[in-house]
Amino acid sequence: MAQNVTNVSQTEEVSSTRRVIAASSVGTLIEWYDFYIFGTLAKIISEQFFPKDNPTAALLATLATFAAGFVIRPFGALFFGRLGDLIGRKYTFLVTLVIMGGSTFAIGLVPGYKTIGFFAPAIVFILRLLQGLALGGEYGGAATYVAEHSPAGQRGFWTSFIQTTATLGLFLALGVILVVRQTLGVETFSDWGWRIPFLLSALLVGVSVFIRMKMSESPMFVKMKKEGKISANPLAESFKKKDNLKMVLIALLGATAGQGVVWYTGQFYALSFLQNACNVEFVQSNVIISIALLIGTPFFIVFGALSDKIGRKYIMMAGMLIAVISYKPIYQAMYDEAALKTKVEMIDKTTIETKEAVKGTDNVTTTVTKKTYEDGTTYKETVKLTVPIDPVKKAELAAADKLKPETKKEVTLPQNSYYKMIGFVLIQVIFVTMVYGPIAAFLVEIFPTRIRYTSMSLPYHIGNGVFGGLVPLISTRLVEATRPAPGLPPADPLAGLMYPILIASVSFVIGMLYISNKTNNMDVE
Amino acid sequence: MSAIKKMFGIVWSLMGVGIIPLVIMQAMKEIAAKPSEENWIFWSIVIVVLMPIISFSLIIFGVFALRGEYDVLE
Repeated sequence: MAQNVTNVSQTEEVSSTRRVIAASSVGTLIEWYDFYIFGTLAKIISEQFFPKDNPTAALLATLATFAAGFVIRPFGALFFGRLGDLIGRKYTFLVTLVIMGGSTFAIGLVPGYKTIGFFAPAIVFILRLLQGLALGGEYGGAATYVAEHSPAGQRGFWTSFIQTTATLGLFLALGVILVVRQTLGVETFSDWGWRIPFLLSALLVGVSVFIRMKMSESPMFVKMKKEGKISANPLAESFKKKDNLKMVLIALLGATAGQGVVWYTGQFYALSFLQNACNVEFVQSNVIISIALLIGTPFFIVFGALSDKIGRKYIMMAGMLIAVISYKPIYQAMYDEAALKTKVEMIDKTTIETKEAVKGTDNVTTTVTKKTYEDGTTYKETVKLTVPIDPVKKAELAAADKLKPETKKEVTLPQNSYYKMIGFVLIQVIFVTMVYGPIAAFLVEIFPTRIRYTSMSLPYHIGNGVFGGLVPLISTRLVEATRPAPGLPPADPLAGLMYPILIASVSFVIGMLYISNKTNNMDVE
Repeated sequence: MSAIKKMFGIVWSLMGVGIIPLVIMQAMKEIAAKPSEENWIFWSIVIVVLMPIISFSLIIFGVFALRGEYDVLE
């Protein structure tokens, strides 16, 4: 009889934890979806809201992309983290969800630059900042909420579901965009169809808010509130008290900084490298990344669960170390796999087509060269030269050395190379799952309940938003620095890896030296 | 282990201090060579956002490590 009661109680507990995980994960996934559709549709958004001929608007475009991702996220972490520690986890991350959904929906409604002029980029900029703020508050809340509901000894496993949401959010964004684009056609999509993924957010957020409203507050927070132990000033307590500040620093330097660069390198820099250094065709490169992410996603849970058994530290540190050691050989292999120099061209299959057309006030000459290689690789080079019909304008542009053709190179890999590329990216995704799978449990366990939301959110968003988010910018810059002259290929296409390798190395040494592998009980102090 | 942690504390603090002039000098050198808008934006982000976070967190972390604040975390 007693055994049956225990079993029923355990089943109820697991069922309740599952509901908490599902409700939290769906909301967090939607927040990532909202955040990613802006980035994925950056080119169309830029055309609609940030015209190139307006330098102020163009600058705002740059700021919108950077500020939201890097600067604003930590501020959101502080603002909402504080709220979460004062009024509770449930209501705070409900608010972040509504702000994120509201601003995403609103972006879908903002008229373009042609209709309302400068107001268009200004409004979009503000809405993007709100998105960044909301994301800064969401993750810490979800991780804290789930961890505080999870039974001791299983926090790594349960919080790892939250860790899968960033990757799944990216999937959802890509999936919705592809479906809408295929349904409406490229032209209609570029015209107004791109708004649909933004507007759809309202529906997704509505469902998620409904689910979250039914959830109860975190039991640890409720207990703390009953006992009157809520922090009066979580910000001051987190960052002015030496005992907490030192944990914030160790979390940032020994864990999230290294994790952030490994995360961004494995998922975003890999895509950028495929498209820009290897010139792999747009759809094929996206599919390579998507498949690798899909296969790799369950490993977040595998490593999260494993961290309950052997501790968080060594899994995260192993992920960083292997990444540091193997990035160069992996990227070299990716580069070699797509390199045309080593392939044998089938000259008789080469075709060159030139078309001339008048577009508005310009003459446009397009030359398309198609090459086929013995291993099945195909190469397409499109050179487009736009010259004004007006001879005066033409002479002006020629004098300013602005009559340069645009060149687009596309390599389509054969099946064998395609699978190898998926393998190379998958290895990197596994590193991502090693460093990222256990980190939510690690972060929530090193801070006391009364200031957990605030304290864990800041190092997470600085590590991911600043250290990780800057990977594409700094790595691209490092590669560009090796380019002998404009138009020539960079001397060292792997130079961009220096930044993630350096940050992950320092983080690894700090983590190994100073982080404890012991699991904290997370009791209410 | 405690002695190594403390010794490395000096390394982190020195790294934190050393990064500041290194980054500023590099930024000045590159902007002087090519004062484009792109260069300005890039170095502004590095100097205003990334550098203070790295250097100040390393300096404070190094001081804590040197004082033995992390000795209890085994």
